[in-house]
Amino acid sequence: MRRWGYRHVITPLVESMDVLDLGLGVEGRRRLFKFTDSRGDVVALVGERTVPVARLAAGKLRGAALPLRLCYAGPVVSTDEARFQHRRETYQVGAELIGASGAVADAEVIALAARCMEATGIRRYQIEVGHAEFFHGIMDAVRLPDGVKAAVRAALAARDFVTLESLLEDTPLRSAEHELLLRFPALRGGLEILDAAAGLVRNERSQRALDELRSVHGLLVEHGIGEVVSLDLGALRDFDYYTGVIFEGYGPDFGRPIAQGGRYDGLLARFGRPAPATGFVVQLDMVSDMLTRVGRTSAVPPLNAAIGWRGEEGLRTALRIAATLRLFGMRAVVDTETRTAENAKAWCEAVGAANLVHCADEPAVTWSARGQRARRLPPEQVAARIAGGAT
Amino acid sequence: MQERVSIAVPTGALFDGARALLKSSGLASVEIGRQLLVEGDGVRLILVRPSDVPAYVDHGAADLGIVGKDVLWETPGSHYELVDLHFGACRLVLAVPNASTLNGPPTWPPLLRVATKYPRTAAAWFEARGQAVEVVQLHGSVELAPQVGLVDGIVDLTATGTTLRENGLRIAAVLGESTARIIANQASLKTRTAAVQAIVARLREAAFRAG
Repeated sequence: MRRWGYRHVITPLVESMDVLDLGLGVEGRRRLFKFTDSRGDVVALVGERTVPVARLAAGKLRGAALPLRLCYAGPVVSTDEARFQHRRETYQVGAELIGASGAVADAEVIALAARCMEATGIRRYQIEVGHAEFFHGIMDAVRLPDGVKAAVRAALAARDFVTLESLLEDTPLRSAEHELLLRFPALRGGLEILDAAAGLVRNERSQRALDELRSVHGLLVEHGIGEVVSLDLGALRDFDYYTGVIFEGYGPDFGRPIAQGGRYDGLLARFGRPAPATGFVVQLDMVSDMLTRVGRTSAVPPLNAAIGWRGEEGLRTALRIAATLRLFGMRAVVDTETRTAENAKAWCEAVGAANLVHCADEPAVTWSARGQRARRLPPEQVAARIAGGAT
Repeated sequence: MQERVSIAVPTGALFDGARALLKSSGLASVEIGRQLLVEGDGVRLILVRPSDVPAYVDHGAADLGIVGKDVLWETPGSHYELVDLHFGACRLVLAVPNASTLNGPPTWPPLLRVATKYPRTAAAWFEARGQAVEVVQLHGSVELAPQVGLVDGIVDLTATGTTLRENGLRIAAVLGESTARIIANQASLKTRTAAVQAIVARLREAAFRAG
């Protein structure tokens, strides 16, 4: 994310409830682990980090010019175990672009999310882009009594289309918006879905959302991720929170989204610095679950050199060689105990290093690259040849 | 990505209805019943306990699931509930002993004690009506509980009412009506839309013909 100009910020795991109350909805607050500190104030373990980052942007970073590009990583916890794959704690990496509105900013954040997913080692993934305003426009336009509208919202939030259908069937007035609501989960595809939806909606709010999605899609193609992007007008998310373009990232054969994000222009104002904002999180725990399942665990990078030694002079030489190698970006370990050249070979294999260097109390050291005959050379030459990639 | 759509099918009360539906929709001409994993025509069927269906679907082990609404009340999750299949109809009721004075809400005591296999649904329903309730969770033979004085009544499913009658119980209130539903995994709906929606459409049509 550094390459995209995002600055790493660290927000605390324990936050004051006063801060979280401002930013979170009722459900979000309910899921927090809460306790009191020594002064009797209620504090909580954060369940997400967008609110703390917003507070930071409106507080400590108040003087910093907008737009701000911030990123973070850390654990978050939830009392609702079902939320993070039956774990109370999960690890999230996220980014927020604060102070920029419009399609360019939306596309930047989506493209960055895509590159983050790639960086985790996922080979195939898919991003579903939707728009909160498309839904709001429909709900404005659909002619229903307020009570029924509330029930429709509740049914959609619960993803219960059976209840939704029966609610809408009982109402006499039918409109194009009715049809759209009924077909909500199927409203996804490529650019053609925008044309199809444009033919059905007659309210400006939804229409504007469709136009915005079209420009974001165009920019994502330029970002080089057009292939993995689909449009999902039926995306169901926390619509009280999101105000614009929203998106989710899915990996292959994994039942849940591994990345989520979108525009939330209302949040910063609650902390006294009104500003448009958009961001995302990637659920690293889920990514690692997924990679493990397909048998691709993220390997610990192999060691370049294992350096054994015998005698005090040998140890001094070993430490000098290791320091030189590390200076050149090599991964090198120096043995913690003295070993004979013979034992050192077994140790080198056990730690899986590409080169074994053995230093005894003499001017030349023994160097053997994996699978090759041992050679005796001066320490400087060994260091230079390993660092130079010669074997 | 695998193109074959997998469906979690419940054993138990809904099994016969589910089997008939899969057959009439042309998705499973093969005989199902003995094996737990059946390869149908373009679908893979996974036979699981009724209450396990949401778990299979939410975690993506199955793309779709056939499940009673009563199970969904008890285990809400991240799945989409797409179709009412209109079979397996039953009611979740508050049943009390025939001799009991309990009827509608005005007759309920300050603290009502009920035994049930549906603790979450029962607690939520009574709470929404302002009734304090002590829920005793049992795993079977719920009908027995009021007869031995454990509780005032039970919250349980009934289709015909026979079991209740046989145990000297009568219905005092109806909490909800349940039928079989189709649920879908959220990721399957997004990433394999065409294949999954095609299966849903065939099941919907078959259910419509039958109903």
